[in-house]
Amino acid sequence: MKLPINSIKDFSDISIELDELLHILRSKIGEVEGYSDWSEMYKGLYIAQIVSKDDHPDADKLSVYKITIKEGEDIQVVAGDKTLEVGDKVVYVKPGNIVPLTYKTTEEFVIKAVKMRGILSNGMLCSEKELNIGVDNTKVMRLDREATVGDTFIDFFNFNDTVIEIENKALTNRGDLFGILGLVREITAAKGVQFHSPEWYTDYKMPSIEKEDLLSLKIDNQAHNLCSRYIGVVMDNITVKESPVWLKSILIKSGIRPINNIVDITNYLSILVGQPLHAFDYDKVLNKDPKKEAHITIRLAKAGESIHTLDSNLVELNSNTLVIADSTNPIAIAGVIGGLDTEIDSNTKRVILECANFDRFNIRKTSMSLGIVTDAVTRFTKSLDPNQCLPTLKHAISLIEQICEGKLSSEVVDIYPEISLPKKISLSISRVNTHLGVTLSKEEVSTILKNLEYTVHESKKEDDFLTVTAPTFRTDITIPEDIHEDIGRIYGYENIAPVFPKREVKATRRNKIVSLKSDIRNILSNSGANEIITYSFVSKNLIERSNQDPNLAYSISNAISPELSLMRTSLLTSMLSKAQENIQRNIPTFCMYEFNIAHQNTNMDRFQLPKEQWNMSLLFTTKENIFDGSAYYQTKRYLEKVLDTLAVDDIEYNLVSDSTERDLPIWISNLLETFNPKASAFIVHKESILGIVGELSGDVISNFKLPKYSGALEINLEALSKLEGKRKSTYSISKYPPITQDITFNVSSDVKYKDIEKIILDTVNRDKKIATLECIDIYAKEEGNKSITVRVTVEHEDKTLSDSEFEKIREKIVKRVNKRY
Amino acid sequence: MSKDLSEIVKQIDSDIHSLSSVEIKQKYLSKNGIVTTLFKGIKDISQEERVEYGKKLNDIKNLLEENIKRRKEEDISKGTQHEIDPTAPFDVNSKVERRPKILDLKGSKHPLMQELENILDIFQRMGFDVMESKQLDDDFHMFESLNFPKGHPARDMYDTFWTQDGFVLPAHTSTMQNRALRKLGPPPIRVVLPGRCFRNEATDASHEHTFYQIEGIYVDKGISFANMLAVIKEYLEKYLETELEIKVQPSYFPFTEPDTEFVISCPFCNKKGCTTCGYTGWIELMGCGMIHPNVLKAGGIDPLEYSGFAWGVGLDRLTLIKKGIGDIRKLRDGDINFLKQF
Repeated sequence: MKLPINSIKDFSDISIELDELLHILRSKIGEVEGYSDWSEMYKGLYIAQIVSKDDHPDADKLSVYKITIKEGEDIQVVAGDKTLEVGDKVVYVKPGNIVPLTYKTTEEFVIKAVKMRGILSNGMLCSEKELNIGVDNTKVMRLDREATVGDTFIDFFNFNDTVIEIENKALTNRGDLFGILGLVREITAAKGVQFHSPEWYTDYKMPSIEKEDLLSLKIDNQAHNLCSRYIGVVMDNITVKESPVWLKSILIKSGIRPINNIVDITNYLSILVGQPLHAFDYDKVLNKDPKKEAHITIRLAKAGESIHTLDSNLVELNSNTLVIADSTNPIAIAGVIGGLDTEIDSNTKRVILECANFDRFNIRKTSMSLGIVTDAVTRFTKSLDPNQCLPTLKHAISLIEQICEGKLSSEVVDIYPEISLPKKISLSISRVNTHLGVTLSKEEVSTILKNLEYTVHESKKEDDFLTVTAPTFRTDITIPEDIHEDIGRIYGYENIAPVFPKREVKATRRNKIVSLKSDIRNILSNSGANEIITYSFVSKNLIERSNQDPNLAYSISNAISPELSLMRTSLLTSMLSKAQENIQRNIPTFCMYEFNIAHQNTNMDRFQLPKEQWNMSLLFTTKENIFDGSAYYQTKRYLEKVLDTLAVDDIEYNLVSDSTERDLPIWISNLLETFNPKASAFIVHKESILGIVGELSGDVISNFKLPKYSGALEINLEALSKLEGKRKSTYSISKYPPITQDITFNVSSDVKYKDIEKIILDTVNRDKKIATLECIDIYAKEEGNKSITVRVTVEHEDKTLSDSEFEKIREKIVKRVNKRY
Repeated sequence: MSKDLSEIVKQIDSDIHSLSSVEIKQKYLSKNGIVTTLFKGIKDISQEERVEYGKKLNDIKNLLEENIKRRKEEDISKGTQHEIDPTAPFDVNSKVERRPKILDLKGSKHPLMQELENILDIFQRMGFDVMESKQLDDDFHMFESLNFPKGHPARDMYDTFWTQDGFVLPAHTSTMQNRALRKLGPPPIRVVLPGRCFRNEATDASHEHTFYQIEGIYVDKGISFANMLAVIKEYLEKYLETELEIKVQPSYFPFTEPDTEFVISCPFCNKKGCTTCGYTGWIELMGCGMIHPNVLKAGGIDPLEYSGFAWGVGLDRLTLIKKGIGDIRKLRDGDINFLKQF
């Protein structure tokens, strides 16, 4: 929304400097995107007249003109436009000044006196485009005959102005602020001055019609729910021509290209009060109508209907599109864009003027489904006051009478069955004060609201309540809090001093997942692992390369690209691709981890929303030949480091290829083929599966071009958080020295180390004895057998154990192991 | 339709040596793969040639499938072939110096998470609970419960992703407001809700379709706009470790009333003007406002008895500024050389 500062004084008596105005806009109304001083932009431009015209001796495409801006002083200018005639009035840039189009751009073009093909050109004559007021760049712009030679372009076009651009986003619920009038109202109130809307804006009387033989206009609204008001009227005797300078000037400053006086007047009212209007050529409507009558129908489009819009596109309509139709066919898309067939042109003599109120939700739907965004759409979607339709239309009529010599020539047909009534809202002054944290008196509140044109009803001074009526143009006001905002804004948020709330000394709840993540982050970052964060979006191919099922993935209906079209089914999918990238970066050895949520589309929570479970993934890989055996062990080493530091006990590792588990959780079963089943294990606590750790499957390794030694894990943090810190002490504080011996067990290769360990502990840990174990070696010489060497350290609470006592223990252990295996 | 398949056979011959089995599958046998497309074109082949052509095509398909299967098996057979003992600390026959160990590498916490932990720590010290946000939600939580009725034009401000099943990827952490009010009510409610958000916008050095926000909610009896200013200011001063000047500007969100934008004096140049604040001396940091009565009602809280405020602040921009990171995309590309700096 653009606000030319000079427009303020058209509606308000306040005087205001730019700085103060910017401050008011930013702190009380909305955001300022920027402003430009048009008197700077158009400096050094003059109204000139062509005095003589010659061909350029050495260039077919150039003419040499003598122009004047001061009688008796001719200036020679070379121009590419050969069609100018002596007497034409044009805009001339004096050397040393900037072409307005390039003002404040990176390529500012300063005009110099230069020779063009040997002939001196002392400045430049501008096209509309170079003047930044139109699109035509094919010829030098001609001015009206009345333009005074020698005037500055600034004076001629009333460009001694500064235009402020206000960010639309902040005003998006305020239809009234999409008009200059609304902005001036707020600015005036912000200055502490009572604003009065111009009389015409609140004059709801029907205009009187003097003409006798009226033209016929029928209007039939078949969609009251989508069009709460429709007013139409016919004007005759129109002369379509260029608009007067003042009108063009305000439109240009507001960023709208002048077209002709009728269209310009409708656009002017739109920028003035935020109310879009539309004009149809009455004769075209008549001639186009199969029944040759002016019969306007507001209705939903029928299947198969289409329309040529003003921007020359053929638009297919759908059954949600509200149209303005003649007796048979659509002639405009209601509130969105007009039709080409009924466009105003230079021959137009009679017009139908429309001023209506359309449903914002439907306008939005239509605009989205047809892909058409216009200024009218922007305004109608903000919610407008139907009561302003008649005053706005009447103002348009009077401007058309003045500027286009038009005459009102039909009844004003106004279809407005449900009049929008002003809302009466009762405010509690004490609530206003507690809500905002201020101490305003009833008088202060009343003044602010009156200045904004609320009606404040009489009440006793000592009453806490104040009843006010919001003006109907404030469609955003429905509850007292909406008015609290007005009071806060106009009083000034900057005048509200920060105050801490009072609160009781109550401890907060600990979020176990958040603190678990933080704990693990500390452990892993201290263990040489790097935390990564990756997108939730993956491609189908990435899931397939991970040996997981893409059919389990949620699919994004409006994805940015196929690479980002699915929600990942496990954290490992993204991690694998990041591992590949890091290997390509030539990082030989790394361990990385991520905390996040992955989704499987068959996995719902109790509210029938996608189940969300916090997981951790970790991946270790190295292309340096530094480890023996399977990468399972190195990956598990990181997991054990975490579990041990978190004091989590009783974790078991069950080989995946051994497992007979049928009811695996979906997120685990989806991960199975990512791993080598002979070298990976379920992470289990008391029968419940927390996750999976192991060597990556050979084909996954090959798909991601990872080193052979690559392992990973994914674990459920929610399950893990319940196990954290539950360890009980098993440490005996004995004064007596322990005794240590290595014991080697020759067992079949399928015997598990944990089982041997358990037998040792079960055997030793009794009668005040306690053992600590360390695995020294696991060695397999031939197929089917292996030997496990365990360093057993035993201490006794009350004495030093003798060698013979230890020997007895050793024999017992060996006997038990041999018996078992 | 070309009936000559020899070109394709030649192509396959060379691809089999250069492409991985998944790439082969993608190129030839996927939905739009070359062979699949040829099969679809079989109807355009003349009657006489169709049988033989079909047979040739089938042979190629079988050849590819066999190759893929064989290579998958080959790849799989490169891994550990014996069943390991998952309970042991290392594999059989591992030499002492070649057994698993935590390596002396430079580990790190992700810069975003460092900042998030820091912020959550401040709020927890200030007496706020922490509840993490959802990553797939429904229309009710993302919009309706926040006073955006269906079809509301203000919905357009949020370039929202949807799944084909009609779930929404939250475009703001406010998607948690209703849950937080219901779960933590009756007031007092003080909670911060960090989470991952998504917006359908093109990615460049300063824009991401995936980002983090931290929502905050404070509801109690007699909570005022002045309280909001104090609490947010306190958090920012603790976080940025400096005293700040603050101001608020009017804004619009359907779920707050009044609604404002919170602006702070630039802590990096003391209002002198720098690249971070775009030489204005001020930084717009977050949207905030008094919670709309309809939102309180939807959360089961009586707006006549209680009032409150809420805010939502982005994490990514603050992290970029604080850590001197020039490109937002570095935060999510998993580059270990980048990450190990932190």
